[in-house]
Amino acid sequence: MAIKKDVYKEFEDVVGVENISDDPAIKAAYRSPDITVVLPGNTEEVAAVIRLCNKHRIPYKAQSTGWLLFAPTYDFIFLDLRRMNRIIEINEKNMYAVVEPYVISAELQGELFKRGMICNVKGSGSTCTALAMSGHGHMGLTTSTGDRNELATEWVTDEGEIVRIGTLGASDEWFCGDGPGPSLRGILRGGGVITKQATKVYHWPGPSEYPLEGLSPRYKLTKKPSELNMMVRYFSFPSIEKLIEAELKIGEAEIAFELMGFNPSMVSSNITTSNEEDFATLDRFTKEVQGPGFMVIIAGNYDEDFAYKKKVLAQIIKETGGQSLKAVEDPDVEATLLFQCTRVSASIRETFRAGGMFSSMMVQGQRYDNHVRWLEEAAVWKRELIKKGLVIADDGQQFGWGEEQGHLGHTEIFCRYNPYDEKSSEAVQKWMERVGKRALEGCFAVPSMGVLPVDVVGKKVSNYHIWFGKLKKAFDPNGVGEQTGFSYVGADSAAAHTSIYEKPEKAAKE
Amino acid sequence: MAIEDYRGDVEMCCRCSACKHIPLQKVKGVEHSEACPSISRYNFHAYSGSGRLLIAKEMLTNGFNYTDKLLDIVYNCQMCGACDISCKYAMDMEVLLPINEFRIRCVETGHTHPALDKVIKSLRQQGTMVPGAKGKRAAWAQGLGLKDATKEKVEVYYHVGCLTSYDKDYQKLAKATAKILKKAGIDFGIGYENESCCGGRAFQMGYKDDFLKQARKNMAMLKKAGVKTLVTGCADGYQAFKVLYDRYNLKGELEVLHISEYFARLIKEGKLKLNKKVNMAVTYHDPCYLGRLGEPWIHWKGKRVPGYKFVFDPPKEYRRGTNGVYEPPREVLKSIPGLKLAEMDRIKEYAWCCGAGGGVNVSNPEFASWTATERIEEAESTGAEAIVTACPWCEQNFNQAIKESGSNLKVYDIVELVEKAV
Amino acid sequence: MIKAEKLAKIVGAANVSQKPAVLEEYAADMSFVNVITPDYVVKPRNSDDIAKLVKLANQTRTPLVPVSSGPPHFRGDTVPGTGGAVIVDLSKMKKVIRVDRFHRVAMVEPGVTFGELIPAVEKEGLRLNMPLLPRKSKTVVGSMLEREPVVMPKYHWDISDPLACVEVVFGNGETFRTGQAAGPGTIEEQWAAGGAQKTPYGPGPAQWNRLVQGAQGTMGIVTWASLRCELKPKLEEPRLVGSADIERLFELVHWLVRLRLVNECLVLNNVNLAALMAKKWPADYQGIKDSLPTWVLFFNVAGYDYFPEERVRMQMKGISDLTNRIGLEAVRAVGRVSAAEMLKTVQRPSGEPYWKLRYKGACQDIFFITTYEKLEGQIGVMYELANEFGYPASDMGIYLQPVVQGANCHCEFNLFYDPENPAELERIEELYPIAIDALMATGAFFSRPYDKNARMIVNRDAAYVEALTRVKEILDPNRVMNPGKLCF
Repeated sequence: MAIKKDVYKEFEDVVGVENISDDPAIKAAYRSPDITVVLPGNTEEVAAVIRLCNKHRIPYKAQSTGWLLFAPTYDFIFLDLRRMNRIIEINEKNMYAVVEPYVISAELQGELFKRGMICNVKGSGSTCTALAMSGHGHMGLTTSTGDRNELATEWVTDEGEIVRIGTLGASDEWFCGDGPGPSLRGILRGGGVITKQATKVYHWPGPSEYPLEGLSPRYKLTKKPSELNMMVRYFSFPSIEKLIEAELKIGEAEIAFELMGFNPSMVSSNITTSNEEDFATLDRFTKEVQGPGFMVIIAGNYDEDFAYKKKVLAQIIKETGGQSLKAVEDPDVEATLLFQCTRVSASIRETFRAGGMFSSMMVQGQRYDNHVRWLEEAAVWKRELIKKGLVIADDGQQFGWGEEQGHLGHTEIFCRYNPYDEKSSEAVQKWMERVGKRALEGCFAVPSMGVLPVDVVGKKVSNYHIWFGKLKKAFDPNGVGEQTGFSYVGADSAAAHTSIYEKPEKAAKE
Repeated sequence: MAIEDYRGDVEMCCRCSACKHIPLQKVKGVEHSEACPSISRYNFHAYSGSGRLLIAKEMLTNGFNYTDKLLDIVYNCQMCGACDISCKYAMDMEVLLPINEFRIRCVETGHTHPALDKVIKSLRQQGTMVPGAKGKRAAWAQGLGLKDATKEKVEVYYHVGCLTSYDKDYQKLAKATAKILKKAGIDFGIGYENESCCGGRAFQMGYKDDFLKQARKNMAMLKKAGVKTLVTGCADGYQAFKVLYDRYNLKGELEVLHISEYFARLIKEGKLKLNKKVNMAVTYHDPCYLGRLGEPWIHWKGKRVPGYKFVFDPPKEYRRGTNGVYEPPREVLKSIPGLKLAEMDRIKEYAWCCGAGGGVNVSNPEFASWTATERIEEAESTGAEAIVTACPWCEQNFNQAIKESGSNLKVYDIVELVEKAV
Repeated sequence: MIKAEKLAKIVGAANVSQKPAVLEEYAADMSFVNVITPDYVVKPRNSDDIAKLVKLANQTRTPLVPVSSGPPHFRGDTVPGTGGAVIVDLSKMKKVIRVDRFHRVAMVEPGVTFGELIPAVEKEGLRLNMPLLPRKSKTVVGSMLEREPVVMPKYHWDISDPLACVEVVFGNGETFRTGQAAGPGTIEEQWAAGGAQKTPYGPGPAQWNRLVQGAQGTMGIVTWASLRCELKPKLEEPRLVGSADIERLFELVHWLVRLRLVNECLVLNNVNLAALMAKKWPADYQGIKDSLPTWVLFFNVAGYDYFPEERVRMQMKGISDLTNRIGLEAVRAVGRVSAAEMLKTVQRPSGEPYWKLRYKGACQDIFFITTYEKLEGQIGVMYELANEFGYPASDMGIYLQPVVQGANCHCEFNLFYDPENPAELERIEELYPIAIDALMATGAFFSRPYDKNARMIVNRDAAYVEALTRVKEILDPNRVMNPGKLCF
């Protein structure tokens, strides 16, 4: 359903004729037949578009690169923020960078590397926005996590009001996102569009540019990681308890730059350049590992620092019965994991390559051991699906990583499957529901958005859905902002994905 | 193969946006991080590799709907393959092939672009992709006493190419090539009026039947002449003979070399000596069809293995740009005394397109020029005085953009610099 | 006015006071806000009491003013802003609910002071990231809700740290738990499942804890809070760096924090350092002050479980590389101040009397958040103003605390004055708002605006106030929570 011509013209007057379209071909690329796509060029245009949405009561959705986008199922204005792609400022002394939504992490990271700094990169990969948002990344031990990296923010509310949070509102600066008084960072992800944001950045002891040679898909580092005061290892453990013990000790000892609880299938996906190579490598790895494991990257700020960190790591691994995966000790493999896991450039291999789809149950926050316990149960049920041939056979394990030296973390389990296979899709959807219900019954965690009805979840979680509903209503009185439920932190891909063009029961009015 | 045969591939697109950027570990910052001229210029997702696949998926599911916008999307693509390479860094799926098939479908169903029709008309009438071409194809060779390969056996056949033959600005490349080959003592010949367009550009533009016609015609001529080795200075021509003809089982045992590959070989063998100093700071532009798309064709026939993994029996080997022609031109440049080579940020398999491909230089000269201007600026950022490349179409597009922008950058073909050094 | 019996029914008669002497104690503090006597002081015993109080306040439209720390108070936020108020004094809620070494977290009721919590966590091998020498009666929850700066920037990932979760009775009387504590399940059920109320974000997309912090009790009353704890080091090596050159000093601070080489890391001027360390007044103070350079950086290097000596040695090597490059020297003592003494001092609350009051009896703090490069200019502005108002700059204490892992710097001017001296009182009262104005013009961010100046600071950004007001309307629709504070 298209919006009326005169209404279309109003949007066109804001963004210009080149930057709006409801042509079927354009819409097909956004995988929704019911949208009008606009490309705003700056904050004022975003605000004006949203105000028009309010005026005409047309819902809208905003997006940057749109990794794994699943279109909402009603008529709406779609703001593709592609034209808002500037790095506004990098402040080295106070260690923050200010970006617009379409700056991708790879770009920000590239700029920061030149200055001996690095940013958090979301686990979904460095093609995603560099905005802090809710994205949890593999380097969280060092680069913190999601919205905890936010500083001052320029935010357009669901009514189209521009709110400048923190120092931005006070003095046009970016260094603080909280106050005066209570912090409106508290309601940032409830809706609206972030149009600029300052994000904390961190020290990077590595090179200003990785010295790579070779060609896609197999780049090679021309130096050994040890020459860069860096080391990558993969350790497997006799049990998940021992893994957690090691992970916690590593976090507390503050020795790791990155600890990524890959399971062997993710390691093998990451370093291989085709599915066949991947499956063969996984076979080999599976025989070598003794149980669940993680990859750890040590980075020394200077020689003595590097030596100390390696020594402590060796001691912890000894104490916890860890076993090093020989393949990763090969400097070439080690180097590949080093640059791919710090640039987070191969997450697609780990997730989509095998079957085109994955459905994930993930949870952020305190990891040990509530989340781990819960997803251990989920892993058992996943292995049943593997046995039945409904999902891709990997090691059937959960994975995760510590953040902020192990204070917080991310825990996840996913099933890779063919979304066009109805049996698989249904089985995965049922698995997600079962895992979600268990999270609630067992008081382990709040399950990912979309897995269970929001009021079923909310009732058990301080009725947050009612409180959030009030916030939503206060800032989105006309109901034009994103209504895809109350998105759980970082998880927006948990729903089953086979019906891309599901027609809504209630279409928005023209 | 038709677009339907790529259904599995188009369904694999997970919209990660890698196709919009160069391989992520090569990204050094905001500048020069993008790979695809089309999405960079037009911004709607539809213009990216992913967008094109998702459109194909939608139309395979719900029927083809040829709006003006769709055709704008289809024809504003240089078919440069950057999206394909970036995607295949991580994924096992085809990107450029289904994009190409979609365009072929548009042509087959009569949804063509008038500017491209004009070019094809010239191809059909004169065997050239240069509309309005006048005179003989080999007029440039008058008085040079070059062998006619169709009349006498030669060791090496030099395929000149349409632009180099007919465009007065680029005939110098043919003359330079002939001069160099002579100096190296090579027994070579040309086709004179029997040379015809390779058909490669027509294929890019979606005119598959015209391409096949040209391919069959050329191979018949070459077979009759007993040609074993073909060299060409045009990247499109190179890719046509080397890859496309092989894809359609027409190439046979013909050895196909780009002139830069051939020169590199001659230098190694000591047959070509570059003694004169050429004091210049240059940067090298990898033509798409010599570089990432110049990779040999992989003959594979198989079926998708039923089930949840996107795998095939036998296992499918993908062309990911690894085996394109990257080093030989660089080796040649490095052999020229006094020449200083500085690399741009986007090179080799992730080079930014010159802007001329896919027929865009005629269907949308403004977009072609915009694309070239981006590349000119990138070249200038290296401090180079000149951009060197290995395809006359690239050179023509760069020169046009330089004229419009007033830049001082010079444009050379690799053969021109070799000629200076010989 | 609420009937006393109604209050007594909720908290018990012994916990309701209308005695004039008691009311007077809660009517004023050391700030310059107007003195308004409350109607009652009540001391709830638990969260149930608090929920009932808030519900009653809604029924009767009675202003509530929560306070958890004991006197002296300084900011004007814990005294009534309007008439008819009931002070809700949480100081009786003193349970240390939990200290959990495995999860590095503690959970406390609002009345627990630093002095009470520190030994409890130390028993488990933990320590707190705490503010600089809080007064003896200062509560941990109070400090965290105020977003007070903490002395270990390395462990200060977010400005809300070390606060994790809270249970809060919102202004409408409903109880809510933030972060991981929200659910599923009761707290006990969460513990049984291995949960430890550690995660601050959520539930859902909102970060509810951020709306309660910095709110000065205008959104609700916190009934308990969990907080992140750090490990108690096995080995500590404190050092001092003296310099007159603040830019150079902060170059070192930047790298110490950036490379995560140090735990405690703060800069004091000679006035403040002397005030902190002096044992006998006034002789000690003057002697210490005279022995010090203008600025002193204090930092502490720690070793933990694994090869602590080696770790300390390794970090010291890194530090000496830095100090050599920058042209400074890290030593065990500067003037009459020893780093070891300093370490002992900063790891505990202030002795009595509160260190800020020892010099002259009162202190007006002017503090804001800024960036390193602005510091010198802002200090210059303050010196100039102080001189203009006849306040001797040599009497002004300055405390500079890198926070949020160096993204921000807390800058605090401590203006000591004699509260019995009307001229000094008047001078401070006049200087204070002018200083705020002048400093704001330099980009100083008054993120924690208090007393009479709060409105002026907050109201500068109408869109912000409008948004905040909407939140207030949800959480405290009848505006019973501490009216007259901030922009409410």
